[in-house]
Amino acid sequence: MIGEFLDYAINGALIGLLYALVAMGFVVIYRASKVFNFAQGELVVVGGFIVWWLTLGMGLPWYFAIPLAFLLAAIVGYVIERLFFSKLVGESVFSMVMVTIGLLILIRGIVLVVFGAQVRPFPTIFPLKPIIIGDVLIPQSLLYGGILAVIIALALSWFFNQTRTGLKMTASAEDHQVALSMGISVRMSIAAAWVMGSVISTIGAIIFLSGKSLTFLASEIGFIALPVALLAGLESIGGLILAGIIMGVVQGLAEGYLDPIVGGSVGSILPFFIMVFILFVRPTGLFGWKTIERV
Amino acid sequence: MKEKMNIRRLVISAMAGVALAAGSTAAKAEKTITLAAFADYTGPYADIMPLLQGSRDKAVEWWNDTVGKEMGVSLKLKIYDTRYDTAQTASLWPGIKSELNPPAIFGLGGPDVAALQQRLPDDKVPSLMGTAAYGFAWKENPWILNPRATYAHEASAFLQWYAKQKGGAVKVGLVGSEASPAYVDMIKGVEAFAEKSSDIEVAGVLLTTVQPADLTSQVRRLVKKGAEVMIIQTNTSMVVAVKRALQALGRSDIPVMTSSHNGLPASGRALGDVKQMEGDFEAYGMAIPSPESVDAYNFYTMLKDKYGLNVPWNVLSVQGIAQTLFTVKALEKTIKRVGADNVTGEEVRKTLMTEKITSEEMYGFYSSLSFNEGGPFPTEGMSINIGTIKDGKYAVAATGIPVPAIEKW
Repeated sequence: MIGEFLDYAINGALIGLLYALVAMGFVVIYRASKVFNFAQGELVVVGGFIVWWLTLGMGLPWYFAIPLAFLLAAIVGYVIERLFFSKLVGESVFSMVMVTIGLLILIRGIVLVVFGAQVRPFPTIFPLKPIIIGDVLIPQSLLYGGILAVIIALALSWFFNQTRTGLKMTASAEDHQVALSMGISVRMSIAAAWVMGSVISTIGAIIFLSGKSLTFLASEIGFIALPVALLAGLESIGGLILAGIIMGVVQGLAEGYLDPIVGGSVGSILPFFIMVFILFVRPTGLFGWKTIERV
Repeated sequence: MKEKMNIRRLVISAMAGVALAAGSTAAKAEKTITLAAFADYTGPYADIMPLLQGSRDKAVEWWNDTVGKEMGVSLKLKIYDTRYDTAQTASLWPGIKSELNPPAIFGLGGPDVAALQQRLPDDKVPSLMGTAAYGFAWKENPWILNPRATYAHEASAFLQWYAKQKGGAVKVGLVGSEASPAYVDMIKGVEAFAEKSSDIEVAGVLLTTVQPADLTSQVRRLVKKGAEVMIIQTNTSMVVAVKRALQALGRSDIPVMTSSHNGLPASGRALGDVKQMEGDFEAYGMAIPSPESVDAYNFYTMLKDKYGLNVPWNVLSVQGIAQTLFTVKALEKTIKRVGADNVTGEEVRKTLMTEKITSEEMYGFYSSLSFNEGGPFPTEGMSINIGTIKDGKYAVAATGIPVPAIEKW
């Protein structure tokens, strides 16, 4: 009984950390531009296809292909910023958000045209054999993914809070005009955010898809990660870890105990229910910044 | 002078003869019947559509060249890209109806059913599908007609066969998703069947996303509850996730059963090697695309050799050819009954409701079809075929397994 509970909870927490990792893409871009990127799931798909192309398509060994995939993902992020966002500096955030919706449709179309809709095998980066401790079964891809998510969250928190570049990026998001007047390159900040968001999405794709299959449907994880980002608060990178664990554990326990009773997929709905609830009672999320406006 | 006159007369007579002969040939092949064919060149099935439509086209070409020629009828397909989208299909249809008023539609899938189910009875145009049916569309007086029973019927037929092979009752794990009403319908139908069956017991239901992250833990729960076989009729990604979970748990003795659209070759490719599907099954009410399906394979080979069909022998060519044979046979019987000039949607439907299309007439691509007003698919005499991977190779495991009767769910 206890073993079963721990199994649901631990696996839920690890899946939650994967969602947190994907949600980091949302937060990094939001922290630097105040833009909520609706195309985050599509960036995961692009990252996945880059990895697939380099490993199974080109036949490169994974230890060479993965760093190269990060480089290519960074280039994709940079190109997206140059093409769609560099001209919008100083424009309303609403316009930028609308562009991300257009980007979602565009990337999906490009992926379908270039790679097609067929299901492709994704390389096995992490061992398939799970770690079994008593009744608890831990998939290695999720375990390593969870560890990686924590490390990346700590590194990004340090970067945004302690480094000059990180603080400049945060300042850019506050107000483009003020940042420009202080000599901060808003364009470079936004470009850096898209590069980071794109690379993080590729890491997420590797953990999510390792040993499984890849189609454009993988973009769904972007929307599943959304409640985690909103629960944490869109500015808090460290908060994502806790939010991810909360959401994942709730989902895991709901799948284990409620789904069999209800006969439906309560586990997949509950995070969205929590998201709506959080938006009602605390719109800034658990760790989001509270803005004080002086009139 | 007289000689010149004779030559002129001869030339004129010959020209008139040629003209008359050409005229009579033209008159004989003059009747052209145009059907609307729904396709998806810009949606989720864009990559496979050329294969499906290519098979449809060549089968129509064969009919025009053989049966059609004798009857003086030529069939033409006018393709409409519905993007496999309900809204797109619904918005295209009024234009198609007023432009063509076709006596039948080559249906594509679930979105057509959702978009047109309500209005086809008023428009008096039947849609002839190539896929299995759905429980939610199991209604009387159908105008959308499926040559296959529901996915749940097909899975239940497989389970009955599997229980017989095992020599006792079977516990089944059902894997699906709430992402689509069709996916839920598949599970509800098998549950309805298992409730009344002494041979089948549902060990558990696993509902997940269309692209699951990891199912090891969830599959272990089903295995702990005694699942001996997994039914996955949703998509290839789910088959891959369940297979990976079973591999991680070291339970290669538990087979999975897939349908046609997520069958063994496709799932095997997505896993990296079809050998990983050793001992697994696919089950559906169409010929298995293996040379062992002799009649169907011979027909396919004829289309390939004589009409230049450039599609491999796989589930898509089977589906495209099978749907076309079903449709042309319905038209052929209607033409024989009412004449080529009187072929309407109502008459095509009447033919299907009153006449049987035998499996032999369709070269074994489908089992014999006898529709009735009770539902969109024949409720009697249907059967499925089962494919498997044996010694690393795709093979037929069983043919002609009868589809059981299931009460509406």
